Amino acid sequence: MKTCIACGMPMEKPSDFAANDPNKDYCVHCARPDGEMQSFEEKKENLTKFIVRTQGFDESAASEVAESMMRKLPAWKKYFDQEKDAL
Amino acid sequence: MGSSIRQEQKQNTRKKIIDTAYRLFSERGFSVATSVIAKEAGVAHGSIFAHFPTLNDLLSSLLSDFGNRMGSSLHLLAKNCVGVEDFLEGHLDVLEEYEPFYTRFISEKNRLPDEAKAAFAAIQSTAAFHLSRVLEREAEKGTVKKLPIHLLFNTWLGLVHYYLLNREFFADPGESVIKRYRAELLSAYLDLIKRESEE
Repeated sequence: MKTCIACGMPMEKPSDFAANDPNKDYCVHCARPDGEMQSFEEKKENLTKFIVRTQGFDESAASEVAESMMRKLPAWKKYFDQEKDAL
Repeated sequence: MGSSIRQEQKQNTRKKIIDTAYRLFSERGFSVATSVIAKEAGVAHGSIFAHFPTLNDLLSSLLSDFGNRMGSSLHLLAKNCVGVEDFLEGHLDVLEEYEPFYTRFISEKNRLPDEAKAAFAAIQSTAAFHLSRVLEREAEKGTVKKLPIHLLFNTWLGLVHYYLLNREFFADPGESVIKRYRAELLSAYLDLIKRESEE
């Protein structure tokens, strides 16, 4: 089973995929309205908002959690590698 | 060929170490010494450090595996559930399945490496994601009170965690708290959040 490269959600039904397209590697929640994948900043912001809304975390704690989740996902690897290289 | 066999042996040893550590941490908590893990796993003490240079590396790897497994179980249950009751039943099934380790994990989390915090948040975010979806559907139908999603989630988790964290007051040693109280917890929580149907 495919999992979304940007959030890790398992994708089974066509409706789980961006633009109902099972060839896509990312899910409906990680797509922009035009079907393109959200940017790193967009995804981080949306994930943070989602964590605040569903778990009530403080915003900066939620943002840290969002980043630690994204760190494990293939779509964002290059952002964290760049960060590491910059150090 | 030789190298692929060696690779397989290496993977087997790694798995043996992780599985044994998982069992021992579940039974005795996270302060079990690596020498004990090695002995129980039937591997040389040095072998643990060949796979995991520090105890934190072992813990991080194990917690991240655990987070992934629990996350998959939660995704799987959400697939087949229709309403909030279904989801909560399934959530309790998953918690019962992982109960001994999960209980140690939530009670010792703050003393563990940062990976523990990340694994905890990832597990709860998966649960919160699925619960929020069923709750939104129920809210639309008017079957659940209009309360903020985070309070509905935190109230449920707080209730279940209270029983797990204080298990010595609620159950006999070795008995599953979830199994013993699941019906009561579930029906009380549903009574709290359900909207009375208008006569």
